[in-house]
Amino acid sequence: MELLPLGFFEWAESSFLGYIGKTYGGIYATLGQSVHLISLAVLGGAVLVSDFRLLGWVLRDVPSEVVAEQAHKWFKIALFTIIASGVFMAAAIAIKLYYNAAYWAKMYALIAGVLFVFLVRRPLLRGDHSQINPWVLKLVAVASILVWVSVAATGRWIGFS
Amino acid sequence: MNELLYQFAEWLYATPWSRAIEESFYLYNWIETTHVLTVMLSLGMLIFIDLRMLGWVMPQVSAVKIAQRLNTAMMIGFVIMFITGILLFYAKPTYTIQSIWFRIKMVLLLGAFVNALLFHKRMMSSAGSWDMEPKAPAHLRLGAALSLGLWAGVVTTGRLIAYDWFHCYRDLPAAMAWAAGCVAD
Repeated sequence: MELLPLGFFEWAESSFLGYIGKTYGGIYATLGQSVHLISLAVLGGAVLVSDFRLLGWVLRDVPSEVVAEQAHKWFKIALFTIIASGVFMAAAIAIKLYYNAAYWAKMYALIAGVLFVFLVRRPLLRGDHSQINPWVLKLVAVASILVWVSVAATGRWIGFS
Repeated sequence: MNELLYQFAEWLYATPWSRAIEESFYLYNWIETTHVLTVMLSLGMLIFIDLRMLGWVMPQVSAVKIAQRLNTAMMIGFVIMFITGILLFYAKPTYTIQSIWFRIKMVLLLGAFVNALLFHKRMMSSAGSWDMEPKAPAHLRLGAALSLGLWAGVVTTGRLIAYDWFHCYRDLPAAMAWAAGCVAD
């Protein structure tokens, strides 16, 4: 099910942003796609360092509260850049994306990921982790990894569909 | 040299597995997806190590400890990334070998590798004196910044391989045709 009407996508493609992305392939590939990928690496680092720590795989001698707090800072920066570069890229091929199932899968995965981070993960990890059942922490870490890997994988499949 | 590389690419192209990977919609695309997903693991960890050296993440935690503790996960990511990268090249060898972006990417990869070796050596030889400082010494910060820049270049040129703006079947200036490895048909 599409989240927005076709008219919105038609407007996006005819907008200034859509015009730039469509007309200048070099700008689309570098400021759009490359920045999107580099931000994905930062987001991946932030998510995985924090989640691997919750799973007890890395940095076991560093308090998980410290790791989660610091990683979240970079997560927010990466998420903002991913969304900004994503909007730029999407505007250039908006009408095509409206009919692309992988695009909508990515949007649903992204919304799920953002809601999960800001409504579940972050509020839970802001406190003292020793007060939380270790299995809950591990479950949150696994869910977090799965949701963000899904966002990245469905994102890549937009180009194949 | 370019002639030799192209002949090698043609030989690879003629092997059954190369054709099988390129012609399989799901196999080729899943290899490419895995290649991109491992960016999250390998570069994700590398970026965190570099950011720590620059004093921008976990400044209160030992920098050497972070580098050592994230190393295994990072290396697992790099191994998968290199294997999938080789498979992607193997699937489209004649196109890729004549991509100027691929060639720049290889040079940047080599630069990143040499930089990582030097960085590790310098970090370990001076670790005790600055380890708990919020920022690493200037020469290590330079290495970390160089690492971030080189890998940003690797990602960008990797992405640009898909674009054929400067491919051999186009009308290229002689120097660019040589750099892209174009050979006469």
